[in-house]
Amino acid sequence: MSILGLSYSPWSPIFWLLAFVVVMIMAYFFRRRGQKKYKKDTAQTKIFLCGEEVPEAKERHIRAHNVYWGFFETMKEYYDTNIKAHTGIINDYVIWFLVLIAINAIILFIVGIV
Amino acid sequence: MANLIIHSPILIIAIPLLVAFLTPLIGRASGKARDVLVVASLAFVEFLVIILARDIYLNGLRVYTLGALSPDLTIPENYIVPIRIILEADSMSIFMAIITATVSLAAAIYSLSFMKEETGQDRFYTLLLLLAVGMFGMELTGDLFNLFVFLEIASIAGAALAAFRTRFADTAEGGFKYIVISSVAALMVLLAIGLFYAQYNLINIGALAHVMQYTMLDKIALVLLVTAFMMKLAAVPLHMWCPDTYSVAPAGITIMLVVASYACLYALFRTCFTLYGVCLNLTTVGWIVIIFGLLSMFIGVTMAVFQTDIKRLMAYHCISQTGYMLLGIGVGLAVLDNPEALNAYGIAAMDGGIFHIINNALYKGLLFLTAGALFYRTGTRDLNKMGGLAHKMKWTTIFYIIGALSISGIPPSNGFASKLLIYESVYQFNPILAIVAMITSILTLASFTKAFYSAFMGAELPEYQEVREVPKSMIAGMAILAAGIIFFSLFPGLVVDRLAQPATNALINRGVYINGIMGGGG
Repeated sequence: MSILGLSYSPWSPIFWLLAFVVVMIMAYFFRRRGQKKYKKDTAQTKIFLCGEEVPEAKERHIRAHNVYWGFFETMKEYYDTNIKAHTGIINDYVIWFLVLIAINAIILFIVGIV
Repeated sequence: MANLIIHSPILIIAIPLLVAFLTPLIGRASGKARDVLVVASLAFVEFLVIILARDIYLNGLRVYTLGALSPDLTIPENYIVPIRIILEADSMSIFMAIITATVSLAAAIYSLSFMKEETGQDRFYTLLLLLAVGMFGMELTGDLFNLFVFLEIASIAGAALAAFRTRFADTAEGGFKYIVISSVAALMVLLAIGLFYAQYNLINIGALAHVMQYTMLDKIALVLLVTAFMMKLAAVPLHMWCPDTYSVAPAGITIMLVVASYACLYALFRTCFTLYGVCLNLTTVGWIVIIFGLLSMFIGVTMAVFQTDIKRLMAYHCISQTGYMLLGIGVGLAVLDNPEALNAYGIAAMDGGIFHIINNALYKGLLFLTAGALFYRTGTRDLNKMGGLAHKMKWTTIFYIIGALSISGIPPSNGFASKLLIYESVYQFNPILAIVAMITSILTLASFTKAFYSAFMGAELPEYQEVREVPKSMIAGMAILAAGIIFFSLFPGLVVDRLAQPATNALINRGVYINGIMGGGG
């Protein structure tokens, strides 16, 4: 029931989960052998910014529009073109529909003739 | 029980239809009684769908002729073609009905709290049930004109529901766009039906498929049907209405609109495989579907990463995920007349595409509900304004993680299983297609990581100090879909063997569907 037959090899989430549990146990084992001087809720656990004052939560939270900034800068031309096509005008949506009907018809009839 | 199974195809449509019109009456007496009636009726429909699915799995397809002496008497005495309204439920249609029933039930339960503060709840539940009726009707009908009627019912109810919360400025625009594109698409479907009727005097799918000659008019009808259904299921470049509508609809309704678009996907499959089948130039039509799929996957996901409105981000992912389904089914269609390729990878590609439909309905449904939960508590969809909400909304966070891992195809999720099926089989057809699919998956993970970080991670923000977890009925709605995801993740073999593979076989073996109608003479 849990095994999915594929052409190259079968996939079983149960075996995957078993392997995952084994890895987690190993990770826990190594973690237990780590630093024991950690003290919860002391100055040890506070944010340290090279001695600078730590900004308020609101200021240090990176907002969504900053995430992947480099990716969007690199893909600027792609996004400019794409966003320009998304006009938000319903007339344009219907024009796309008509254009697609025409393209599909041309493809189908050309293939029919050939 | 046997009687219930026999009449279940019509009951699945009739019960929500009846309750839809009872709802305003009962709502006048008691809001609670109305809520109980709506949820109970959808739960009963879910039960009916499950027993019918079991029956179809064991005994094959089931037809239901309205007005006949016996439900399986499809062709009246002294006639050679079917003239009555006929419902025909095979493995593919019941597969879609399972999705519709489950998502509608989750949406109704979720909406109990989500819509509590809104006015006109009687109308809301009437429309919700009518939307469910439209979807069930499209999936179970064996008749093209009824398909059009149910498409219209679903479109009108969907548009009214999308625009339901008129106190928000953008809802009317979302609803308006939905009804315009739906009407244009439905008109094209009607025109195509007219072309069939003019030639063959028939509107029954099985009977039409039996006599299909693939004339010039049939080709025109094919173009109209394929493009109209592509528009309704928001395939690129006909997708632009989708984020405008999905983002403004109430969360419970958004997930039903997603499933309504899958009902159109079903109609597209029925058109290509059953109505036309091997008459088609399969390679050409297969490649048209594949190209729609590729464009949808890539443009959908790249536009999604860019969004900062959480529901627009998810709406673009709907487009992208539809691309996977089109890719899998398109490959199957392209090799339908090549038995060697079909057995080597075509069937697996179709299994993957069909398995992905149910997976996507579950995880995309869950993700939209978590987005609704965030809106319910914060009053915004803007990810720029959110942060640190995992501290306050633990259940919503857990559900979001389950949905996000699944849609991104991270093992051992059900999304991984269906994507793996698609990757492996599509790679054998054309490796470049599989590579684009994998890149899409990586970008999917990137955009859901962005949304997760922006909304849930980070320190508690002062403006959300008072935020708390959403009410229990909303958690219950999300839990139904999350439970489905976990079950499907743990038992992908069961789902593929019992649901996806029979659905694929139903599409490939059109003779069985045709014989269900033409073999039932009196």
